[in-house]
Amino acid sequence: MRRRSLVKTSWALVIACSALVGCTDTQTSELPVLGPYNVVDKLEDGKLTTDTVFTQIRPFSFTDQDGNEVTNATFEGSYYVTDFFFTSCPTICPKMKQQMLRLYEEFEGKENVLFLSHSIDPKRDSVARLKKFSSKLGIESERWHMVTGEMDSIYSMARHYMIAAQVDSLAPGGYAHSGAFLLVDLNSQIRGIYDGTNPEEVDELKTDLQSLLSAHP
Amino acid sequence: MKGRFLISAILGLCLASSCDYKPRNQGKSLYAKHCSGCHMNDGEGLGELFPPTANSSYINEKPQALACIIKYGLEGSITVNGTSFNEAMPGNTQLSDVEINNLVHYILEVQNKTKNPYTISDIRAQLSSCN
Repeated sequence: MRRRSLVKTSWALVIACSALVGCTDTQTSELPVLGPYNVVDKLEDGKLTTDTVFTQIRPFSFTDQDGNEVTNATFEGSYYVTDFFFTSCPTICPKMKQQMLRLYEEFEGKENVLFLSHSIDPKRDSVARLKKFSSKLGIESERWHMVTGEMDSIYSMARHYMIAAQVDSLAPGGYAHSGAFLLVDLNSQIRGIYDGTNPEEVDELKTDLQSLLSAHP
Repeated sequence: MKGRFLISAILGLCLASSCDYKPRNQGKSLYAKHCSGCHMNDGEGLGELFPPTANSSYINEKPQALACIIKYGLEGSITVNGTSFNEAMPGNTQLSDVEINNLVHYILEVQNKTKNPYTISDIRAQLSSCN
C-alpha cells in the first residue's frame, strides 16, 4: 500500500516538473505576438485543423518631416519602434524622445531597424514644425519618421496599436496620451509594448529587438 | 513631570526632523517634478531642443537670472555651452519664493557645482524685479 502511494507521488512530481519546465521554455524562447487574432479552419494532409492567425498592422498613410508619404511599404522588411507624441508636449514626451533617441543610437548601422513617431497634434505639428523638431533632435528622416496626417486617421491608428490618446483640455498641452513604445516585427505584428518613459523597460525593448534580430536578421 | 517629559520629547523630535531639512533636498524633488520632464533627470538637456541645466555656461554666467526664468519662463534664443536653443519655456508661477529659492540652490550647488550666493531675501529681490 505504502509502495503504491510512493509511486503515485513520484508520478505527480514528474508531471509537475515537466509542466514547470514547459512553462519556462515557452516564456523565454519566443516573444508573444500581441493584439487581436482569428481562429481559422485549415485543411492539412486531408485533415481539418484550426489555426490562430494574428492580425497585422493595417494599411496607413501619413506624411513625414521631409514631406514624404510614409506607408506600410516604408517598413517592409524592417522592424520598427513606434509611439505617439506632440512637439509642444510639456510632460512625458521629451523623456520619451530621449529614450527613443537612445534606441536610435544603439541600433545605428542596422538598416532594418526603423522608428515611427506619430504626432497627435496634427493642427500645430505641420511638416515644417516636425522637420525643425527632428533636426534639433539630430536625427535622420530615413531612419526615424516623424509623421503628421488627418486627425481622425492618427487617433484611429493609435487605437489600432492599442495606445490611448485623446484631446483633453484639462491635460497639460491639451492632449492626454500614453507614453508607450511598440515593437513591430518583420511580419508587421506587435511583439512588445513598453513604457517609453522608463529606461529599464526601454532596455527590455532593446533586448527583445536584439533577440528578434538574431533569429531573423 | 510627565508633561515636561512629553514637551521635551516633542521638541527633540522636531529638532531631529529639522536636521534632515536642506534646501537642496527639497530643490531636488522640485526639480524632478517641475523641470526634469524637459531638462531630463540629471539636467543633461535634450539635443538642441532643451538646454542642459547642469554644467550650463548660461547659468554660470547669469545665476541671478535663474529665479525669474523658473518663475516666468523664457522666450527667444539663448546660447548654452556653444549651442543655440530657441524653444519657449513655460513659467512656474505656482511655485512659492521658498520653493524657487530651494530650486536655485539645487541647480547651482548640485548641478553646476558652484556655491549658491543667494539668501531667500536675495531671491525675493530678484523675483520682484523680473523683466
